[in-house]
Amino acid sequence: MKKLILFRRLSQISFLMLFIYLLWLTPHAAAFFKIDPLVSVFSLFSLTMLAMTFIIGRFFCGWVCPLGTIIDACGIKAKNRDMGLFRNIKYFILGLIVVFAFIGIQIVWIFDPLVITARFISLNFIPSFTLAMDKAFIFLIKGLNFYTPLYDFYRMLKLSILGTKIFYFPHSFITLSFFVIICGLALITKRFWCRILCPLGAIYALTARFCLLSRHIDKCMHCMRCSINCRMSAIKEDSGYRKEECILCMDCIYDCPDLATKFSWPIKNTAKRSGSEGSISRKDFLFLIASSFLFLGFKGREGSAKKKLIRPPGVKNEHEFLNKCIRCGNCMKICPTNGLQPAIFESGLAGIWAPHLVPEIGYCEYNCNLCGQVCPAGAIPNLSLAQKKEQKLGSAIIDKNICLPLSQNRECIVCEEHCPVASKAIKTYEETIAGKKIRKPYVDISLCVGCGICQNKCPTRPERAIKVLP
Amino acid sequence: MKVESIFERLPKKKITRKGFLKLCGIGAGSLMLNNALFKFAFGKEEISTGRTVKKIKGLHDLVVAKGDDPYLMTMKAMEAIGGMDKFVKKNSVVLIKPNIGWDRTPEQAANTNPQVVGALVDMCFNSGAKRVNVFDNPCNDPKRCYKNSGIEKIAKEKGANVYSPDDWNVVKARFDYQSPMEGWPVFRDALECDTFINVPVLKHHRLAGLTLSMKNLMGVCSGNRGLIHFDMGIKLAHLTDFIKPDLAVIDAYRVLKKNGPTGGNLEDVVDMKTLIVGTDPVLCDSYACVLMGVEPLSVSYVDYAVKHDLGKGDYAEIAKADILTIKV
Repeated sequence: MKKLILFRRLSQISFLMLFIYLLWLTPHAAAFFKIDPLVSVFSLFSLTMLAMTFIIGRFFCGWVCPLGTIIDACGIKAKNRDMGLFRNIKYFILGLIVVFAFIGIQIVWIFDPLVITARFISLNFIPSFTLAMDKAFIFLIKGLNFYTPLYDFYRMLKLSILGTKIFYFPHSFITLSFFVIICGLALITKRFWCRILCPLGAIYALTARFCLLSRHIDKCMHCMRCSINCRMSAIKEDSGYRKEECILCMDCIYDCPDLATKFSWPIKNTAKRSGSEGSISRKDFLFLIASSFLFLGFKGREGSAKKKLIRPPGVKNEHEFLNKCIRCGNCMKICPTNGLQPAIFESGLAGIWAPHLVPEIGYCEYNCNLCGQVCPAGAIPNLSLAQKKEQKLGSAIIDKNICLPLSQNRECIVCEEHCPVASKAIKTYEETIAGKKIRKPYVDISLCVGCGICQNKCPTRPERAIKVLP
Repeated sequence: MKVESIFERLPKKKITRKGFLKLCGIGAGSLMLNNALFKFAFGKEEISTGRTVKKIKGLHDLVVAKGDDPYLMTMKAMEAIGGMDKFVKKNSVVLIKPNIGWDRTPEQAANTNPQVVGALVDMCFNSGAKRVNVFDNPCNDPKRCYKNSGIEKIAKEKGANVYSPDDWNVVKARFDYQSPMEGWPVFRDALECDTFINVPVLKHHRLAGLTLSMKNLMGVCSGNRGLIHFDMGIKLAHLTDFIKPDLAVIDAYRVLKKNGPTGGNLEDVVDMKTLIVGTDPVLCDSYACVLMGVEPLSVSYVDYAVKHDLGKGDYAEIAKADILTIKV
């Protein structure tokens, strides 16, 4: 009866499911980031999490973290090795994040485990899952001529959870390989990422170092089973343990042949305190942070950051946007037209995976302000619908060499038809050519909001005759 | 894990010529099988020559209802033209094709009035229809269009199937005559129905002049629909001939006078409180043109349809037609 381990697994699986569920129905997806001390530094929820960690220990890593769950699953068959002092790398990563935060560059998006998981789920898991579901349904319905009852069910799913559009992110293999590498590291040793690299783990480790709940052994036989099996290599060979490394996975309770291991609240004379040997010293950590001020000299080129891509509605300052955006992929998941896509190197190294609008894939829906609502970091401002409609994302220009009415005198003006601005940002004038009246479009830049629907619906191929430029 | 250990695990077999050819054979075979399976599953292509239709004539050529309640107006107008029983037989499948093209509210008059659609669904079921389908191929995001137009809610309450058509469930159009619409993908459900009720909303459209029942049929097309705009008259006339809608119900309760077909400004919307019902789509369209003060033959598709005898449409024909006006 490994009751506690059963509970842990249940908790892990249900939190993973909850995470996927919240991301799938995106409106409340920001909830998970609210409890993340690395993302929302001083929010009430993250402080509560830190306080709870101070009482219990790193329960988040062992019982809640969705990435931890996936890494656990990947490392089931893996050997367990003691990685020694490598475990301190995570503190340096945390230090690096803090240092970069001081010089005004946000790199949390590379390392935060919740962001990594959310990005994977939004950009890889959900699109491929819906695609597989869709293809399976099409195979059943069209291939096997299974029309009526199943077809109705499929249509109902399409208008509810499956979505009328199968999302597609052209460069999502990069996020996929990033995620696969992180999980694949678990093949080297169990929980490689959590032990050695995770900066969120580092924050919790620093908090849990003096936590109240602690592990006790009544009569240790020094059989070393717990020490060898510990997935965080938190147990020392002298049966003491590194409190900051323990994620309360409860394995050692059942590894102990006498069942002598217990977790309990401190009673008067506690057992041996865990030493700080082998762990990063406070002095070093503070030194690292203090040295960050050396970098302050590099700051101060904010104004030079030019907008090269069409950013989501309401984003004014490119530099500020890239610093706030944690690349969680929520906006790209919720964008109803699939138009928001992760950038690669289009806006430089600092802009990797930040969302930008690709009108040829999807336009910005005029009556929609969802991306601002779901952004957990406030990078995309949460605007009311009326405010959002006034945001200028860019402006459209017409290529006269491609445009059908302008270059070939053919009837078209699809762009004018679709323009969502109430008084039409694309206007037309009439010209009579060879006795035939042709309407020709032009753009009124002062009215254009740059939503990109004109580019999206323009029928010319392969180049669109009307384009939106930031 | 040491790098050498990975190499040690690799099989130490030598590749022979026979083995290599075998491997190639298996690879090519499985690829072909895969291809065949995909073609079987997703590559079916069907061709259709349009709906087979029983020409049903109403009691009048046109019924024009005026009043304050779109639901009642639809009911009375349908009664006046001979009742829904004339068009919908027992256990038949009905398609109601409203205009749900835009993510706009009913007040903005870019989509068909939901009350009109609701009344039609009700009447179809009262006449014993087995199934009533309501769909459009919207220009904006379907989910938002269906929700904000109010049509999804009211039609679902009345028991109709409201769904978004699938791009893969289409048939290719085939015409007996030379047509620019040859091979255009049309949603299968638009053809496999016993009764096709076309429910457009009357509104301004810069290129076409007005959006009317024939223009509304663009919603049953899949593919790159922007291309229909070139030579719109011929294409829409042929499409109408292909679909042959049984009934046209033109909603002119709220009419968008300017900046169509999207609209958005409430100042551009005029209350005309009118509903036009008829069996001849061209006549309905040209009457609606007259209502809006537009010369019918200036609308390209009406012009083409009249010239090629697809229906009646110029002023003389309208004057001759049997038009009943009722007040509700």
